Amino acid sequence: MTIDFHTHPVLIREFAEKYPNYVRVAREVFNIGNNFQPLETFFLQMDVAGIEKAVLLPIACARARQDAVSSNEQVAELCGMSGRFIGFASVDPMMPGAPKELESAITSLGLKGLKLDAALQDFDLNDPRVFGIYEVAAALEIPVLVHTGMSWAPGTPLEQGQPLLLEKAIRRFSNLHFVLAHWGWPWVWDAAALALKYPNVFLDTSCLYYDGPKEFIQFVFSKQIPTTLIERSLRNQVVFGSNYPRVEIKNMVRALKSLSLTEGCLEKIFSTNAERLLGVRQ
Amino acid sequence: MIIKLERVRVQSRRAEEAINITPKVDDIVEKSGVKNGVVNVMTCHTSSGLLVTEGIPCLEEDILTHFSRLLPEDEDYHHRRYLDFDGRMGFNAESHLKSILGGIQCTFPIENGKVVRGSRQTIYFMEYDGPLERVYLVQVLGE
Repeated sequence: MTIDFHTHPVLIREFAEKYPNYVRVAREVFNIGNNFQPLETFFLQMDVAGIEKAVLLPIACARARQDAVSSNEQVAELCGMSGRFIGFASVDPMMPGAPKELESAITSLGLKGLKLDAALQDFDLNDPRVFGIYEVAAALEIPVLVHTGMSWAPGTPLEQGQPLLLEKAIRRFSNLHFVLAHWGWPWVWDAAALALKYPNVFLDTSCLYYDGPKEFIQFVFSKQIPTTLIERSLRNQVVFGSNYPRVEIKNMVRALKSLSLTEGCLEKIFSTNAERLLGVRQ
Repeated sequence: MIIKLERVRVQSRRAEEAINITPKVDDIVEKSGVKNGVVNVMTCHTSSGLLVTEGIPCLEEDILTHFSRLLPEDEDYHHRRYLDFDGRMGFNAESHLKSILGGIQCTFPIENGKVVRGSRQTIYFMEYDGPLERVYLVQVLGE
């Protein structure tokens, strides 16, 4: 089962027509100017890219940005509309009710993981309250996808995306799977080193910050980081992520497949590793 | 003088696709009430197009194949950079250039309430960066 581990449901027209703040959030908080598209386009984008399922990521940033970038309920609603979606939850660790909210999102709404973005949500990754959320996630046995690296969202400080800020949590919660989004770009070696050192660290491939997808991916994963690092050492800890709709899924698939990775390694990146994280494969 | 403007949504289903919209244009003209005049058809997007050619699958394929040969994905395009006004990367220069190459609009005369065109002429909405829901305009002018 091919899985895109990093998508944001921010441009769905049915939701733009249904939820009053949805358009403002897309334009001003998430910062994307593309046209809203019917849900059908999302599936067609997956189809042309050869992707069967997509992880939907909300961001609980209402305290910092007035509104969430998709709520847990909206993600659950989308998952109810199609079995092709795998919904993650997001909670604000600074809010007193966050641990219970996370538990409820997983047990009641049926969401499958947790997404955090310290820069957009405006919290310190090493705040003890964040560790309280990790405790709940570990007990629920769900993966935690954390934004690392640069964010295009306005008003987000770059320094809060440094992968090494997560090391303390990664060490303390060795039974919790952390997915470092965007491979921590520009700190790609920091992110890679964390994955090399800690088996509970995974990296997603959704990094694209200049040039075209193929040029960027080839530069990062063959010039900056040798492709052999993925092929030989990290093949069990990398998951495919596109960051759709900031980039079309097909373009990121094509870019990743242009690397000189073996079929076996690509199978792990596009399918097996994500399935293991989501508990559908041992 | 009658002037009618219709916005038509079309869902492309592939990355690149030629979609025959001739029946839709005919239908809009026939329902417009215009007996004699012109109809103009235009895409609203800069990475899609409108063109007129013979309506056969081999030509549809040739157009897309040869546009891609002339404007390959892996060329060195300045458009490949972060577009701050869009919050995303501009990596579809070739789609924009195909739109320019193939054109974005067409015009036909209307006579006795019907579109006048050559027997082989077919109107295509051209998707160069799909799949996406797109919009094209059909404006009917006349009396």
